[in-house]
Amino acid sequence: MTNDIAKKLLIVDDSKVSRMLVRAQIVAVHPEWTILDACSGEESIALVEKGPPDYCIMDINMPGILGTDAAEKILEKYPSIRMVILSANIQETYQSRANALGAAFVAKPVSEKSIALALNHFQCPK
Amino acid sequence: MPMPDTILEDVFNAINLGLIIVDAQYNVLFWNDWIFKHTHIKQVEAKGHKLGGVFSEPLPPTFLNALKNTLEYGLPTIISNALHRSPLPLYDFSSQTNEKVRINQSITMSPLLPQRGGRHCIIQVTDSTTSIKREKMLLSHSEILRRDAVTDSLTGIFNRRFFDEHYKIAFHNAIRQRQCLSILMVDIDYFKNYNDYYGHLSGDNTLRAVAQALKSQLFRASDVIARYGGEEFVLILPDLSAGQAEKVAEKLKNSVFNLAIPHKNSPLFNQVTISIGLSVGMPKVEYDILGRADAALYLAKQQGRNRCVALPLLDEEQK
Amino acid sequence: MNLLSEMQRDALAEVFNIGAGRAALSISEIVGDEVKLSVPSIEVKKSVEIGVETLPLNNERFGTVHQNFTGPFEATAMLLFSEEKALEIVRDMMGSQMSLEELVEFEQEAMCELGNIILNACLSAMADILGISLNSTLPCYTIASCTELLHTITSSMDQDYVLVLNIVFTSVKRESEGQLILLLSSASLTNLIRHIDHFLGGI
Repeated sequence: MTNDIAKKLLIVDDSKVSRMLVRAQIVAVHPEWTILDACSGEESIALVEKGPPDYCIMDINMPGILGTDAAEKILEKYPSIRMVILSANIQETYQSRANALGAAFVAKPVSEKSIALALNHFQCPK
Repeated sequence: MPMPDTILEDVFNAINLGLIIVDAQYNVLFWNDWIFKHTHIKQVEAKGHKLGGVFSEPLPPTFLNALKNTLEYGLPTIISNALHRSPLPLYDFSSQTNEKVRINQSITMSPLLPQRGGRHCIIQVTDSTTSIKREKMLLSHSEILRRDAVTDSLTGIFNRRFFDEHYKIAFHNAIRQRQCLSILMVDIDYFKNYNDYYGHLSGDNTLRAVAQALKSQLFRASDVIARYGGEEFVLILPDLSAGQAEKVAEKLKNSVFNLAIPHKNSPLFNQVTISIGLSVGMPKVEYDILGRADAALYLAKQQGRNRCVALPLLDEEQK
Repeated sequence: MNLLSEMQRDALAEVFNIGAGRAALSISEIVGDEVKLSVPSIEVKKSVEIGVETLPLNNERFGTVHQNFTGPFEATAMLLFSEEKALEIVRDMMGSQMSLEELVEFEQEAMCELGNIILNACLSAMADILGISLNSTLPCYTIASCTELLHTITSSMDQDYVLVLNIVFTSVKRESEGQLILLLSSASLTNLIRHIDHFLGGI
């Protein structure tokens, strides 16, 4: 695993607390990464258009479009982005939707453990 | 002086309830005779083994999740018989047929925190096949309230069938708890004349409006109004004094009067009114409190309608 | 009057969203169908301010499940179902093959379990996120009228504040939607808020 290139991560969650938690956990492991925030699916799509990130962590339930729908749109155009769906919706249907998109599903709460799972997905080759 | 462990163990084995205690690693620590009776697996065979591996059949995910939650978070969990008929492979071996019958169960899991060894869980199992008894039906009779089968389709309030059931329960409750009971019989004055003049459709609308007006005067969960038949309604109001019940009757009478539904075919008033017969008091088994309310209603009609007449449960001279 | 800061409310929303997600998973396993639980609003109210209009269920009667819990703070968690919704949910959960008689027998138990699932899921999420441990009594199911309920809430003078959560319950296949209210009343709500601040400070 190389950390020599500073990667860019986009965190999409309508909860500020949740975004802060994810950011804190990531910074603890990868202080050199550039981290961007979006608080809705729509905002995340717009941000990706300005400059696609390497990785994305996406919540599902947000005002506006569902995170999974936003993820689908983003991955259609930028299939190389590594996507993690991080949600409190832990029912089977959401997990399989995430997997069908080529994203990994990780259950909330945000913790060292759940973020480690997300980082694993980022670093395994496609 | 603390009770010796042997006595405690005897107690656990004597009670008519299944008891299983598991430690934080899901190992069985204790298993009472009731569980043996319904599994034919001895405690010594189960002790020290993971609960999931003790039975010859796998345990359902719901049970295992509940156990995990109780051990992990220390929150008590119930698994109702309503939603899971038979989570554990427990059987009634005493049944006459050769086939062993799986028993219906209700399960409660509670955390135990012994001095050492992490959190434990005590699993209590009751046989629901036998526990569903009349007492339970009585307890939950208030839930009958929602059912279509007990609703009068025209007025939306309870029907006669519900009333008959509820009356029995309320009557016996009042006797047992030594509380007053009030029965109010309500009749729309000159309703036949109304139907003749305005037609049955208007008659139905008026029945609905009167039912709603009466119902809107009741605020306690324990108060019940039902359609008794035709243009007659009946109310049961527990635990009110005679004075309070008369006040309610007055409010009911006014609520219908204030609807100001025109009734040109009424010999007395130009609008729809009601008469009310009230019987109130501390009931005894032999009292015919419905009959008294009916008698009171008759008096109210006789005395000019649009009024309430109250009668005690017994005449003075009969006491 | 609002007693929570935006961040505190956000943190609580996250706690209860995770709780709702866990409860939805358990319930979906029972009904064999997807269900959604969402928490659209969270408010802290003084218990004396709780009135009919606070409870956004326009029902005369409620089914309630409550559990008392102790730990870093003591509280009563009470889940309110509107009456018809309660029955609908139970019918859903038990399958429609139930006879009337059976429904009467089982409803109380089923509601108790449903309440237990939702309350435990919320409490476990709170335990995980805030790093606390709570003890709880077993759930208890009662039917109460709105007036009786308000009386219970406002008469317990030792419980000054009430946390009011709206929970929307949606059964995806049946397209039915129900609303539940979670009331968390506690004299020591300040202790809960302290734990939230502690958690926020640790980020």
